[in-house]
Amino acid sequence: MPSTTEASPGRAIDVLVVLTESDLRTRYGRGPWQLVKWLVDPFALVGVYLLLVTFILRRPGDAPGLSLACAVVPFQLVMMTVINAMGAVQLRGSIIRNMAFDRVLIPVSSALTEAIAFAASFVLFAVLMGAYGIRLTRALLWLPFVILLTIVFAIACAFVASLLIGLWFRDLRPFAMSFVRALFFLAPGLVPISEIGGRAQTLVKVNPFTGLFESYRSVVVEGHRPAGWQLGIPLAWAAVLIAVALPTYVREQKQFAKVVE
Amino acid sequence: MSVAVVAERMGVHFFFDRQNRVVTPALARLRRRGSDAWGIRDISFSVTGGEGIALLGASGAGKTTLLRTVAGVFTPDAGRVEVRGRVASLLSVDAGLMETLTGRENCALLGVLAGLSRRRARHSLAAVQARTELGDAFDHPVSSYSQGMRARLGFAIAELVEPQVLLLDEVHEALDHEFRVLVEERAHRILRDGGIVIAAGHDHSLLERLCGRALLLGGSTIAADGDFGRVLQAYVA
Repeated sequence: MPSTTEASPGRAIDVLVVLTESDLRTRYGRGPWQLVKWLVDPFALVGVYLLLVTFILRRPGDAPGLSLACAVVPFQLVMMTVINAMGAVQLRGSIIRNMAFDRVLIPVSSALTEAIAFAASFVLFAVLMGAYGIRLTRALLWLPFVILLTIVFAIACAFVASLLIGLWFRDLRPFAMSFVRALFFLAPGLVPISEIGGRAQTLVKVNPFTGLFESYRSVVVEGHRPAGWQLGIPLAWAAVLIAVALPTYVREQKQFAKVVE
Repeated sequence: MSVAVVAERMGVHFFFDRQNRVVTPALARLRRRGSDAWGIRDISFSVTGGEGIALLGASGAGKTTLLRTVAGVFTPDAGRVEVRGRVASLLSVDAGLMETLTGRENCALLGVLAGLSRRRARHSLAAVQARTELGDAFDHPVSSYSQGMRARLGFAIAELVEPQVLLLDEVHEALDHEFRVLVEERAHRILRDGGIVIAAGHDHSLLERLCGRALLLGGSTIAADGDFGRVLQAYVA
């Protein structure tokens, strides 16, 4: 295999950083409005759900707006990563057709781009915690782990989206987006899991988004550490998706230059 | 380590679906119906330092596929290719540039992808801006560039890795006289320094000045390999 450089962790980090930087530039442009757009973008995406639940549906319960943000923020991160990953290989068609580099980093870069893009939405938590008078607890120390879990799950989804939709079945893009959206409504997104009764409560736990949403609620709203299943189920899904998609992606990435348009 | 390019029975296989779109082998197996073709097949040659080699042949003969495989853009589906030395390539007019990014941003991105560290790529920005003579346009999106500006930028980025193996695919032929002179001068310098130049194209006088040897590609494989003049004669006969 011809190469201009030796593969190394430092090299992989450099490639990952420049791929992510270029992705962010493409998405947010440049100039003074870049920061404003970065701050406002997630609020615009999350805001519609907040308006729906807090003002139109007028959900009862503890801090309904904050509880909803605990679902919408991680969901939007995963959803936007999937959308980004579906187009990531084609977007970089010009460099894939001309240069040899580790294309396995492309889906990881998609997830990192969206994680950075959505970092601003975590300001929502601070604002809503203040608005609902939620006290700061030691449970918040779990938040970085929960965010990391969300990013790992998003990376796993990115490999699947990039391979299945970005490369193999491009015509199924709208279906894939609807599928991910359906998973939001098949999880306790608009209401916490405590308001779902009977067998349905057990069933929705299989949905990886359930564990993610509930772990944010545990840490941010309820002030205790997440239960094992809340972290374990999304992590197990991420492991399975990566175990299935990554080897195929590694094999298929050698063919990218042939199929990109 | 001596600079060399060695290909042994190298082949690149393309698969198509029913709409004649290129698909990956795995997807072709899943879909079953479709067709396939070898872009290049049974290609064996070796090039050593100081040697310039021209790829001749009609359009579709496999010149671009061969260059892309040597560049590492395509992975051989059969046989193998070994490249010893730092590689730079100019395989298309867009030179890998991303339209939405500025010249500077492209330079930072492609410099790293070409093999530089981020720090070295950042430090090279001023030199690239000067070498390309893009001036303020260096901070404009590449979508506003002419073909010549893109090629100058792409070539300047490719040169950042101080290549020992230079791959050129017809691109230089489509551009202005100044750029062709620049590319030729750099290619001669690489050859003088013990590097390798592999160039495909139809400007035979330019290729002859750079390359003492030629490969004639036909039917996706090597139809002739030898002295440039003799192979050219076989091609045009």
